[in-house]
Amino acid sequence: MKWVSKKSKKRLTWIAIAFVLYGVAIFVKLVYVQLVQYNELSTIAKQSWDREIPFNSERGKIVDRNGEVIVSNELAPTLYFMPSQNKEKEQVADAIANVLNKDRAAILKRLEQKVSIVKLAPEGQNITYEQAVEIQQKQIPGLYTGVDYVRHYPNGNLLARFLGFTGVDNQGLAGIEYEYDKLLTGSDAAVRLFTDAKGIALDNANDEWKEGKDGATLQLTINLEIQKNVERALSEAMIQNDADQALAIAMNPKTGEILALASYPTYDPANFAEVEPAIYNRNLPVFMSYEPGSTFKIITLSAAIEEGVVDLEKDQFYDPGFTMVEGARLRCWNRSGHKDQTFLEVVQNSCNPGFVELGQRVGSAKLLEYIHRFGFGKKTGSNIAGEASGILFTEDNFGPVEHATTSFGQGISVTPIQQMQAVAAVINGGTLYQPYVISKVIDPNTNEVLIQNEPIVKEQIVSEKTSSIVRNALETVVANGSGRHAYRDGLRVAGKTGTAQKVENGRYKDGDYIVSFIGFAPANDPEILVYVAIDHPKSALQFGSVIAAPVVGQIIEDAAPILNIEKQQEQLDKKYVWGDQLTTRLTNFVGQSPKEITTYMYPYKIEWHGTGSKVVEQIPIANSLIHEDDVIHLYLDD
Amino acid sequence: MFIYSAGTYWSSIHYIGQTPFYIKQGIYFVIAVISCLVVMNMKVLQKPKVWVFFYWVSIFLLIAVLIPGIGIVRNGSQSWIGVGSLTVQPAELAKITTLIYLSILLANGKAGQRIVQWKHFLVIILPSLLIMLQPDFGAVFILVAAAFLLLFIAQYPVKLYLILILTGIVGLVALIAAAPYRLKRIEAFLNPWADALGSGFQAVQSLLAIGPAGLFGHGFLESRQKYLYLPEPQNDFIFSIILEEIGLLGGMGLLLIFACFLLSGYKLALACNSQLHFYIICGLTTTIAIQACLNIGVVINLLPVTGVTLPFISYGGTSLLVVWLTVALVLNFSKE
Repeated sequence: MKWVSKKSKKRLTWIAIAFVLYGVAIFVKLVYVQLVQYNELSTIAKQSWDREIPFNSERGKIVDRNGEVIVSNELAPTLYFMPSQNKEKEQVADAIANVLNKDRAAILKRLEQKVSIVKLAPEGQNITYEQAVEIQQKQIPGLYTGVDYVRHYPNGNLLARFLGFTGVDNQGLAGIEYEYDKLLTGSDAAVRLFTDAKGIALDNANDEWKEGKDGATLQLTINLEIQKNVERALSEAMIQNDADQALAIAMNPKTGEILALASYPTYDPANFAEVEPAIYNRNLPVFMSYEPGSTFKIITLSAAIEEGVVDLEKDQFYDPGFTMVEGARLRCWNRSGHKDQTFLEVVQNSCNPGFVELGQRVGSAKLLEYIHRFGFGKKTGSNIAGEASGILFTEDNFGPVEHATTSFGQGISVTPIQQMQAVAAVINGGTLYQPYVISKVIDPNTNEVLIQNEPIVKEQIVSEKTSSIVRNALETVVANGSGRHAYRDGLRVAGKTGTAQKVENGRYKDGDYIVSFIGFAPANDPEILVYVAIDHPKSALQFGSVIAAPVVGQIIEDAAPILNIEKQQEQLDKKYVWGDQLTTRLTNFVGQSPKEITTYMYPYKIEWHGTGSKVVEQIPIANSLIHEDDVIHLYLDD
Repeated sequence: MFIYSAGTYWSSIHYIGQTPFYIKQGIYFVIAVISCLVVMNMKVLQKPKVWVFFYWVSIFLLIAVLIPGIGIVRNGSQSWIGVGSLTVQPAELAKITTLIYLSILLANGKAGQRIVQWKHFLVIILPSLLIMLQPDFGAVFILVAAAFLLLFIAQYPVKLYLILILTGIVGLVALIAAAPYRLKRIEAFLNPWADALGSGFQAVQSLLAIGPAGLFGHGFLESRQKYLYLPEPQNDFIFSIILEEIGLLGGMGLLLIFACFLLSGYKLALACNSQLHFYIICGLTTTIAIQACLNIGVVINLLPVTGVTLPFISYGGTSLLVVWLTVALVLNFSKE
């Protein structure tokens, strides 16, 4: 070793150390990449290695309160193609076009795309199971069948305007499908095919199954049986009265649970594209906001009783047919007036001046406070898509006239669901419950309840005593008042009619009414509260009071066995007459001009037919006994 | 040394994964081993004059390869020469001859003579310039680095190296300025994810091979990235595939084998009884070590992407032959 200098040896050692240090650097970097960045890089790498054939998860079912299926899913496979795996695109296009009976050129165009995987949509999307089997039997390389579903509606149009519908990719687009889309949507499963960088499947690599998760089941508070009855009754009323639209709500007044919710006209959610967006976007019971009319008198009545400003049976009221408020003449619907009556008779007669008196006794600030506390003017929180708030007078512009008209339900705008919420509180003992429609959210695989909705008490508004007095008063309205068509023997139906003129551009729209009835049963312990409104009934032969009330009566009669409501012996006899001025004699309009009639300001609800200068016919005929909510049809000469 | 080399090689065949490569490499392996056995016993190769001759032969080949029609262009570099499918890279040969010629010059230096001599530099620069013209930056880097480490061992002053490092940095900047593709490589190196499908593609794909392998790897033949995701998986990026299949532990094993090779090479050098052989063995061992360092560095994204093969393991006839020739020469010279 004499020839190798110490210096050379030392330098060689340095070099060796440098190499070893470099080796340590490699080790550190490898530890970092392979252990620290392991998860991160694995995720990225997996994405680049595989091509996923989606196995879409099932969208959550929608079921009624008893678990009956309202919306479910139907297998409808979707075709996928990997262009790099099959060069014979013409043949593939032929085969697919043949089975699906679709445009071959369009399919070929998709097959020839230069991407890793093509979804053959729309031609090959949601094909039938039979078609999928037929295509699979051909064993076409590069063509894959992915599991996919479409919504299935076993009840067709039922509940459609509330349910909404889904789009081509099963995404919720309207109604609760839209509102609860996140819960209903699962995470999709997939088969991972390992391919090389050019998309050719690798035989020796094991395909992986990516686990998916089905969407959650929505259990509604809706009772499917009641819903079916409600829709049948409502559609009959629609047809009989040739109405523009109609709505109905049934609710358990003791909990706020909505039992049925219907809007007409309806549509088929599977073919939503065929109807106007106004149909599927508007869930009438929560969307419509209009002047409630006489049904709102229930609120004024409850406030007056709770405040102790009236004794229905002892206090007397004289109605000359109008009342003057700050120089404004507010007419009663009965132009000759109801004369002397008790306040109970005021209720039965639905006497407007009587209710103005009640409202005044409560006081302007107090009445407004009650209206607000009953939930008017703001959304109920029902969580139903598209709910409106309605419009109330503000404290500043709530003058004596506004105070007076509000007392009998005019000049304000409320939604059906707000009326349901308020009246439920009035009749259930005074507790305001938040209306709700989703009962539970359930995991479909484990049946685990993910979300459980319970009745939500908003506040106690009136006492049980007040509640009881109002219930009895409203039972008399049905037993012998304008609500007589809702009477059902032994069921003790109670309720109130209402007819409201529609407002358009800030003015009352002549001859265009919404006829409604809110009713409940049994009057002593209400189990069901029903509201029905028919918009613009055009049938000449039917009167207003017989349009909505019998629908409610029918709904309650049908629901009674379902809800185990037993018939009672103690009830108010229908024939029993409490008051005398339930009706009024109709004026003879034949021969008069529309101008004359309008100037006179009759209290009637008039609907005009045709054009011209003279009335040639009127229904009902002159001197007929009519009720408050009846609509008078006048036919002009042209 | 043979056993471990052969062992390493044995596995390399399997990593190649594709039959034609597999068979070709098998043939190359047989040729390489036979050449190795022949070369390691050829006494004539111990004569310095032979190597001077070989040096000029390789210079001649390096010039020839640059002539259009003779040289074959692959991957943008005119580095191959030969007939039909039988091609060689003169640069690989030049690495050996240059280092041995340099060793001869160093060993001839008489005591008391200046150590630093211009002819040393000329011997290095001439082939370097020729290889640069191809261009094959990786080969030049290996050659120059190995040569300068050899000069360092031969007691060139440290001051000179400091100057060299400085000029090296300047030179690097100049090189990048001269060929924009190098700048792209540097950028890709610093942040390969920024352009994962473009300039950073190789680095990203290599990381995607290595990362998911973890401690133990996916197992033998289970590489995923070799399926066209990684460019030249049998060649420059074979170490990615090895890491992918046998994981961190396997990779470290391979690294240790290279370390053993390096240290036993240096040990052999120190055991020599002639200064010439000491230099030659040091030079040749260092060449292989630098090449391995460069390749692994690129693969694990420690260095910018440079096309350098992994000694003993990568696919490629010339590369394999030259590596085994180098081993044979190390063994040959150490016999003295």
